[in-house]
Amino acid sequence: MKRSERLKPYIPWITIIAAVILLAIIAPSPYIMGTMVFVALWGVLAIGMGVLMGQAGLFSLAQPTWFGLGAYCAGILAARGILPAWAGIIAGGAFVALISFVIGIPVLRLRGMYLACVTLGILMIAQIVFVHLEDITGGSFGLKGIPPLSIGGFVFQTDLHFYFLSWALCIGCLWFFSNIMNSRVGRAIKAFRDSEVASEAMGINIPMYRLQIFVLTSVTSALAGGIFCFYLRFVAPTLFSFDLLIELVLMIVIGGIGSLWGLLLGSFVLTWLSEVIHLSFGKIFPTMTGSIDAILFAILVIVILIFMPHGLAGWVEQLFRLGRRSYEHLRSSLGQ
Amino acid sequence: MSILSEITQYAISGITSGSIYAIVGICWSIVFLVTRILNFTTGEFVMLGSMLTWVFLGLVPGLGLAPAIILAIVCTVFIGIIVERLAIRPVRYPSEITYMVITFAAASVIRGVVLLTLGTNPHTIKPFIASEPIRFLGASVTSQVIFVVGILIIITIGLSFFLNRTILGKALMATAINPDGARFVGIKISTLNIFCFGLAGGLGALAGIVIAPLTFTGYGMGAMIGLKGLVAAIAGGWSVTGTVIAGLGLGLAEGFFAGFVSSGWKDALTLIIMIVFLVARTISFSPRK
Repeated sequence: MKRSERLKPYIPWITIIAAVILLAIIAPSPYIMGTMVFVALWGVLAIGMGVLMGQAGLFSLAQPTWFGLGAYCAGILAARGILPAWAGIIAGGAFVALISFVIGIPVLRLRGMYLACVTLGILMIAQIVFVHLEDITGGSFGLKGIPPLSIGGFVFQTDLHFYFLSWALCIGCLWFFSNIMNSRVGRAIKAFRDSEVASEAMGINIPMYRLQIFVLTSVTSALAGGIFCFYLRFVAPTLFSFDLLIELVLMIVIGGIGSLWGLLLGSFVLTWLSEVIHLSFGKIFPTMTGSIDAILFAILVIVILIFMPHGLAGWVEQLFRLGRRSYEHLRSSLGQ
Repeated sequence: MSILSEITQYAISGITSGSIYAIVGICWSIVFLVTRILNFTTGEFVMLGSMLTWVFLGLVPGLGLAPAIILAIVCTVFIGIIVERLAIRPVRYPSEITYMVITFAAASVIRGVVLLTLGTNPHTIKPFIASEPIRFLGASVTSQVIFVVGILIIITIGLSFFLNRTILGKALMATAINPDGARFVGIKISTLNIFCFGLAGGLGALAGIVIAPLTFTGYGMGAMIGLKGLVAAIAGGWSVTGTVIAGLGLGLAEGFFAGFVSSGWKDALTLIIMIVFLVARTISFSPRK
């Protein structure tokens, strides 16, 4: 095997890591870095939800809830000085793992839109809990007094620090799930999505694998939540509400559920799109940019689902295929 | 206040909101039975009904209550039909998840447009008949409660007559039971889909209008009422009678819970009921082979 061929699977990873470092060098302004932090964090959420939806066939709407629980858990533990900040993020992940495991056992028996209804219910219940447990969560005004994140004397302060931290999580998450999907668990899950009867006949323990992937995606979302809470130094229930869910769904719709890279692309496109919308409509409707967002995004969801059902990634892929075919056509006609 | 009057008071408020959940639940079931779509714009129809009534009352000073209500219902029916034509019909790769996401998005558009045009302030509509509260077993009942319960009774009787006695209603039931068979005998399903969305829009708007004098109406009222209607429809097994019973039961449970335990957590109770019902459906007690 030639050396270049052996390196081939690493090329996308090297490209993305290089791109992340390059962007930090050429454009280290707080605005761009700050927006890219959100691209990475939403990317983690979208990858989790997209893996559940596209690979496991589970349409779970509770991703903002795991994100929020991770953020609240880390924030509360750090604000009360129970644990150091970095340990709070890990504790948040562990807590969400436990909760999603307990909830997943009964809930994952459901399929399709019933699962969606139940997870939507969980999302709404979590909202009510965040608002009404005022003594612990700070109620609807949000949790304040979260200390800065520090690991072994190094304090994360600037946007640039969080940029690297969040992209490390995002790329790690991408790598983790792409490996999982090529492992025994991933193959079992895909087999189940394609044919339930055949995979059960092969003796695959489907409920266990579904539960595993459900818990794993919840934990990555919770870790993203932990970073989010130390980046904003503030958490409020509205940050993890239905609006975030709509944005996540749009990221998945834009990116298409076919590939993990597409999901990251969806997060990138959506986050920058919303920045552009804020900049251009901010002057016309100064107080209501949020609802402008909601309307435009919702129209976009409908249009994409009707006209581009495989998402932007599928569309780009089609374009590539078309280009390659016409190139080959051209070459063969020139050869004659 | 004695315990009896307290119980009566909670029961009455429970039945009032339960009637609304029942009507909204019927809207969900009509669309779901015929088209197999979970239509998340149902809650927004409720909001549109009450908000449009308020708009028409304010816009045209001389307009009476009844014409404003009729105008609001007609508008909401049209919006329901537009949702079906613009967002549901053109989908090329239909799946239940696609439809669900699309109706989510359509609900978001409706809510956003109302927010932008009418603002965030809550509004009120005057009660239909101005009268003193009626005393009943130590509890006070406003006249609006009678309208709410009356509308539920009229809708239930009217719908069961419509579904069992008229040719269109029978076509709806046939499509719900077997879509392919219905298409086979010459029932035009695309027309029925439009009809169902229109009917859901009209009934939802009516529910919103009768409840508006008791609560505030605002752009955000639809989401929670819609979800509770969905709970009633799921718990009632998607049939009209079942949904009405489940809706009333849900309202009563909520009323007593809010009265005796905590009003802040009553929405969580509803959602837990939904989750329990959905999970319980999957459990079979016969041994698995």
